[in-house]
Amino acid sequence: MRISDRRFALFLMAPAALFLTVFVAFPLFRLIADSFFKISPIAGGPRDFVGLDNYVRAFASEAFNGAGWRTLAYTLIVVTLEFALGLGMALLFTMLGSSSQIWRTVFMYPLMIAPIVAGLLWKFLMIDNFGLIGTLLHQAGILSNPNQIGWLSDPGIVLYSVAIPDIWLTTSFMCLVLFAGLQNIPGDLIEAARLDGARAPALLFRIILPLLRPVIAVALVVRGIDAARAFDTILIQTNGGPQSASETMSLLIYRTMIRFGDPGLASAMGTIYLLAMLAVAFVAVTTIWRPGKDT
Amino acid sequence: MRVAERIKHDGGTPAKAAAAPSLPPAVVRPRKRRGVNREGLEAGRRSTRTLLWILLAAAMVLYGFPFLYLLFTSFKTPIDTIAVPPTILPKEWTLENYTNALGRIGVLASFINSIQTAIISTVLSLVLAVPAAYGITRYKTLSGRIFIMAALVTRMVPPVAIGIPLASMMGTLGLSDTPIALSIAHTTISLPLSIWLMSSFFEAVPKDLEEAATVDGCSRLGALWRVVIPVVSGGIAVTAIFAFLASWNEFLFALLMTAIRSQTTPVVIANFQTQFGLDWGSMTALAAVYSIPVILLTLLLQRKIVAGMTLGAVKG
Repeated sequence: MRISDRRFALFLMAPAALFLTVFVAFPLFRLIADSFFKISPIAGGPRDFVGLDNYVRAFASEAFNGAGWRTLAYTLIVVTLEFALGLGMALLFTMLGSSSQIWRTVFMYPLMIAPIVAGLLWKFLMIDNFGLIGTLLHQAGILSNPNQIGWLSDPGIVLYSVAIPDIWLTTSFMCLVLFAGLQNIPGDLIEAARLDGARAPALLFRIILPLLRPVIAVALVVRGIDAARAFDTILIQTNGGPQSASETMSLLIYRTMIRFGDPGLASAMGTIYLLAMLAVAFVAVTTIWRPGKDT
Repeated sequence: MRVAERIKHDGGTPAKAAAAPSLPPAVVRPRKRRGVNREGLEAGRRSTRTLLWILLAAAMVLYGFPFLYLLFTSFKTPIDTIAVPPTILPKEWTLENYTNALGRIGVLASFINSIQTAIISTVLSLVLAVPAAYGITRYKTLSGRIFIMAALVTRMVPPVAIGIPLASMMGTLGLSDTPIALSIAHTTISLPLSIWLMSSFFEAVPKDLEEAATVDGCSRLGALWRVVIPVVSGGIAVTAIFAFLASWNEFLFALLMTAIRSQTTPVVIANFQTQFGLDWGSMTALAAVYSIPVILLTLLLQRKIVAGMTLGAVKG
């Protein structure tokens, strides 16, 4: 007997749905449940229900609020710079046309590099004493001393420094997506605007950027979510230091869980973090993304 | 059709075909790429183009330099690696860092773990994502729409939030510290992405194709297996590459869920820093060995990968 199409579709989706339920939804449920308990870090230790106490402690803690702001600042730094650089490169490749194709490919290479390797590599470039960047700037006469800027040791600038590998890794992604978007802008439109006497800035801000809006929106959302979860690059560069100046939310939760042995508090922090991300995701998905509808 | 025949008759050169009086040149001129705006934004003037090429060269040098420096450093002697002031090129080229790094206990085993984990995770992602994406795109049911939304929302879940509960679940299942446990964790990352990518590929398959197959007596599963899957095999390859890369480069789950037995190379690279002091030379060598195969793979398959990366974003 032939089952209905609706049943058949469900049958096809069921394994993946089951997998995501067991290995994502269930751990999430455990996380949320744990956030209401005070849990001993020792396996099999006491587990006391404390209600919302962990949430109160999270919001009252300076570390949590600091990490929240730093995550926001980090995300904005990464996404803004990446967008500006990615758009610049996408325009450059478009203006050079098909003859630049091979360089477009080469430009993609950081996307394949593990974030942990990128973090390590930039740490090596920026580290005090034998870091190459300080030395080169010194040799160029810009710095009076190679260690004048403590890229990773000055709490005032470290949040910018740790963002560099992330920007380096994913500017290529922005560039690729924006480049593809640029290919879909009808050439006649540009010609017409040129004939009307539009100059480069007007062309960019009045025509190109508005037409790219949907592509830009998706690229910013995808990257924004990834940047807000950044962990590897920061951990390997500074481990959140100095003086927690580069400690973002992922790092704080990790340290609370593993180093300070407070799974209850870490779970509460994780739950708040997740809710904040979901709120952003919800707004993004409903307003701009709409998967499965207009495809 | 007629245009194509005409071109054939004329010997296939577009220039000749364009010269045929009855045909408007715009119809015949071959478009090299989808580039609708070839004439629009592409710079025409020679001086402008020279300037743009100079800009591009500068950007490429700046962008490529960090990794080249990593490579150069990996060929320095261990002492030169941390010399003050540092030099860009090695004073003396040597493989010492490579022999040190690869000779260390656990390093080769971690490579095998990385390969195993990435392969299991890739296969698992494809086996789950291909039918699911097909169910979503072909039948357009409400449950399908809810499912793809839910799958995308899982992309927002920070791994740090579910890593620990997941690790303790694996303990309960008796899978602690195995490549299988880690590959399951990696699949939670790659599965939503795979479903999203595969949905875009299935979207491009004409519905008539499998309708014809079912008329010919194929069951719906048979039509999927024998008719649709061969058509989207390119898309499956792209999805596989993404799933593989996601697992190959992943660090946080690997850090939380593995100990000695199933440790992958990213964790080993990170451990160089704490366990052995600051062994920069070995770290750069191992990082180079780990990154170069995937970079080469990408360069070989670049067209497909670019298509995969831009597909969802541009269409949505």
